[in-house]
Amino acid sequence: MLPKINISIIRLVIWEIDMSTATKHTSELTAKIINPLLSSTRDVFEMMLDCTPVRSGLSLKTKNSPENELSAVIGITGNASGTIVLSVKKQTALNIYESMLGTKAVEIDREVMDAIGEITNMIAGAAKAKLESYSLSISIPNLISGKGHEVHYPTGVTPICLSFESDMGSFCIEAGFASKE
Amino acid sequence: MKVLVVDDSRTMRVIITKALAQLGFGDVTEAADGREALELFNSNSFDAVLSDWNMPNMNGLEFLKEVRQINKTIPFIMITTEAERGSVVAAIQAGVTDYVVKPFTQDALRKKLEQRITSLV
Repeated sequence: MLPKINISIIRLVIWEIDMSTATKHTSELTAKIINPLLSSTRDVFEMMLDCTPVRSGLSLKTKNSPENELSAVIGITGNASGTIVLSVKKQTALNIYESMLGTKAVEIDREVMDAIGEITNMIAGAAKAKLESYSLSISIPNLISGKGHEVHYPTGVTPICLSFESDMGSFCIEAGFASKE
Repeated sequence: MKVLVVDDSRTMRVIITKALAQLGFGDVTEAADGREALELFNSNSFDAVLSDWNMPNMNGLEFLKEVRQINKTIPFIMITTEAERGSVVAAIQAGVTDYVVKPFTQDALRKKLEQRITSLV
């Protein structure tokens, strides 16, 4: 007879192995930005959208296409270089727009993209402020839409993907960094 | 009371303009970057300026420096994600009146604008 095993403990062990693998194989700097990204994402959603996002996963990215059909991409330069991407589903983008501006939108247009770009700008800006020693600068956000679009990271960097659930819908923050040493 | 709101994000311009309207300031002119804002500033009379930092063509710090060449006293509030000490110091040295770090709650923005702008009425 097989011994009884607590499923939640197995899930916890698998989660910890995933976390350890995720940070071991990505660059040290990419791992360092995880906590600043988590806290800045929470702050931006709480203050600007009045909802608290809950992290639902952390994984390494093995393909160049983001998880969802709309991406806001911000380049980072300074004593490190890299990319931060907010990847959202269409409905999540429409919900974020409505929450920020108090007006409904039915399609992804320039105004919805602008709102998603600004949320991404705030997340990247707040995370950058927490990594002050790297003297980072952030670019103006670029918006890319369409299924299967690709975002490329610095050579040799394996980006991470932080998944969230929120009242706005699900979304991912993807990031990959390399220091200039 | 004429206010110039400068931000490359239309979303942010709408949020800031709404907050100003709630405080009773409806005479707002918008610009999408520092260059456009400077042209407006040179050809109009404003009582306060609210500006983002990271913008194309001319950023908020460059715009602030240009404004201070023309007008040393007009209230100039920077509304930005640039929260590092070095950025805040650079803005203070250039003559910024006040500094609002994004993200913010609607209440926090209204309070800051109320403190700085209603005192001018």
